[in-house]
Amino acid sequence: MKAFRKILKFELKNYLTNKVYLVLTVLLVLLIAVVMFFPRIAGAFKGGEENPTDWENLPVMLLVGEENWEETTRPMLVDSFAAAFPEYRIVPLADLEKAKETLLAGEAECAVALESPESYTYYVNNLSLYDSNIEFVDAVLSQLTRVSAMITAGMTPEEAEEALVGRVVTGNTVSLGKNQAENFFYTYIMIFALYMVIILYGQMVATGVATEKSSRAMELLITSAGTNSLMFGKVIAACLAGLIQIVAVFGSALLFYRLNLSAWGDNFLVQSIFAMPVNLFLYMLVFFVLGFFIYAFLYGAVGSMASRLEDINTSSTPITMLFIIGFFVVVFSMTSGDTESLLLKVCSFIPFTSPMAMFTRIAMSTVPWVEIALSILILLASVIGVGVVSAKIYRVGVLLYGTPPKLGKMLRAVLRTK
Amino acid sequence: MRLELVDIEKSFGEKRVLKGISLTAEGGRAFGLLGRNGAGKTTTLRILMGVISSDAGKVLFDGRPEGLSSERFGYLPEERGLYPKKKIFDQLVYFATLKGMRTREAEKAVDYWLGRLGMSEYKNKRLDTLSKGNQQKIQLITALAHDPEIVILDEPFSGLDPVNARLLKDVVRQTIARGKIVLFSSHQMNYIEEFCDEIAILNGGKIVLSGGLDAIKRSYPRNRLAVRSLEGERIAADFGPACERISENELLLTLPDPGKKAETMKMLSEKYDIDGVSVSEPSLNDIFVQYAGGQE
Repeated sequence: MKAFRKILKFELKNYLTNKVYLVLTVLLVLLIAVVMFFPRIAGAFKGGEENPTDWENLPVMLLVGEENWEETTRPMLVDSFAAAFPEYRIVPLADLEKAKETLLAGEAECAVALESPESYTYYVNNLSLYDSNIEFVDAVLSQLTRVSAMITAGMTPEEAEEALVGRVVTGNTVSLGKNQAENFFYTYIMIFALYMVIILYGQMVATGVATEKSSRAMELLITSAGTNSLMFGKVIAACLAGLIQIVAVFGSALLFYRLNLSAWGDNFLVQSIFAMPVNLFLYMLVFFVLGFFIYAFLYGAVGSMASRLEDINTSSTPITMLFIIGFFVVVFSMTSGDTESLLLKVCSFIPFTSPMAMFTRIAMSTVPWVEIALSILILLASVIGVGVVSAKIYRVGVLLYGTPPKLGKMLRAVLRTK
Repeated sequence: MRLELVDIEKSFGEKRVLKGISLTAEGGRAFGLLGRNGAGKTTTLRILMGVISSDAGKVLFDGRPEGLSSERFGYLPEERGLYPKKKIFDQLVYFATLKGMRTREAEKAVDYWLGRLGMSEYKNKRLDTLSKGNQQKIQLITALAHDPEIVILDEPFSGLDPVNARLLKDVVRQTIARGKIVLFSSHQMNYIEEFCDEIAILNGGKIVLSGGLDAIKRSYPRNRLAVRSLEGERIAADFGPACERISENELLLTLPDPGKKAETMKMLSEKYDIDGVSVSEPSLNDIFVQYAGGQE
């Protein structure tokens, strides 16, 4: 136990004084700081007030061929466009060819050329993937056609406008379980953090063990401390280093968010991320720790079988693949919105996929507590089982040099040890 | 202080690696464990240190079978290696604390040994910046810093220049003088001969020869005379097949009867111009080749 504490301390110190670890953590915190302070910084540059000259700087949308539109609503065209596209300056233009030249010269961003009351053409210099202007143009023009029809039927323009715009029915959604729209983002972030940390630190455990073997420091270590102390010390140190990094990153994110609460105002995305319930964060910690252990033990065992660092890549591939498959199942279920699919349900009880799968289900749907308890129990039992087997593999593996043994041969050797 | 291995058996799968190893090492004496590569030396040492368990037999320390805790021994493995990228002082302190020392004690001990081996200037350097010989001295500190009762040195002199070899010899002598058990494993017979009072030769997983080195040497028939003379040719001609010429002026005479030693020596000095004559003892090298030569 004493040796275990010493090893844990030594290994943890290695992580905390490791330049890569420190730089990565600081960079992540800085990145988050930049993101979280962005509205405030951007606000400072803007000077905070709407400037009349701003309007001059807005991108230009050309409106061509007003004369082709119905007479009744022709005077409303420019105003309607201006209302629908506040991010543009609407400039009417008579000549289509001139409009195209202006577009190509980069002096305007897009142009709407009206051809008849039923059709128009949208011109743009480069069509962006996210250009949704055409849908708004459709909406504006359809509205105007309706107004025209009403005026023709005898209504005044004001009455027509009142009939179309003034009466609005508003509805509210109440989700009695989970609201996937709200918790999608933080679940995604958590799953991604889980994925990155487990893969990163798992590999570090494997590399650490293999380095000790290849540098032959292992010869001395195994005569100084028990293999269990060596393996568990290393794995738990990596787990703590990962936890510290998670807490530093998420903690600073929360802190910076609090500092900039007013600047973020009503940004739905950011609000939804920070609206994560505390109990979910606790679940995240539970699944992180258990999921981390099950993979780190496997990585440790793999590291112990390698004689050289190069061997690790090939021998750890199956573990990494298993983990990536779990990750993809979860991400696909999340993006499809079907978090109660049979596949995800099954995955949430398989120990190697349950840390991510069950966490996703808890975050995005309502899972009976019996299922959660069962999943955690299976995972816990598996962690202990995998830990015991890995420690045995480790004990045999650290003394073996040469080509890494085949799995079957290794398992037979492990079974022989008492 | 007394360390005993009693009837140690070990198999790896079908292969019997150790077939009933028994040996005894005493405090204040050095013990040489000899054998060719693959004879079972490292396995014996690992069982002794409790790294692997034996299938049968026991390890006794002062007659008690509780097993050897890691604080009680220091080990210099044949395959050297520590953490190449870590500061020397830090890792030496780490290994000393793993061997049960408190951090402060460990720091003091490591400082002492760095000074003793002339390595203080490298204290805060990374291990991989040192030459191989200096790395070996650093490794030696891991075996000695915690002042263990048993010091196990596997090929301690390989890779050391004569100056460092002398430094190590002094350290070994001092350790023996302080009443520790020193266990040597080496192929360099001259060092074993210099330090070890007791030896055991392993061959094919069995001890084929063990005991006090002097007694072993004496057990050989003392019927050979080493002769130095400028009249080598004449002596060789007179003695015929009983004479083996080692060099122009050195001869080895084998007598049919060891009891005739004194008589022959007298005869030689009267009859020839003799520079020196003595009873020839077998060297450890000869003994090793004889016992470990044929792998069973």
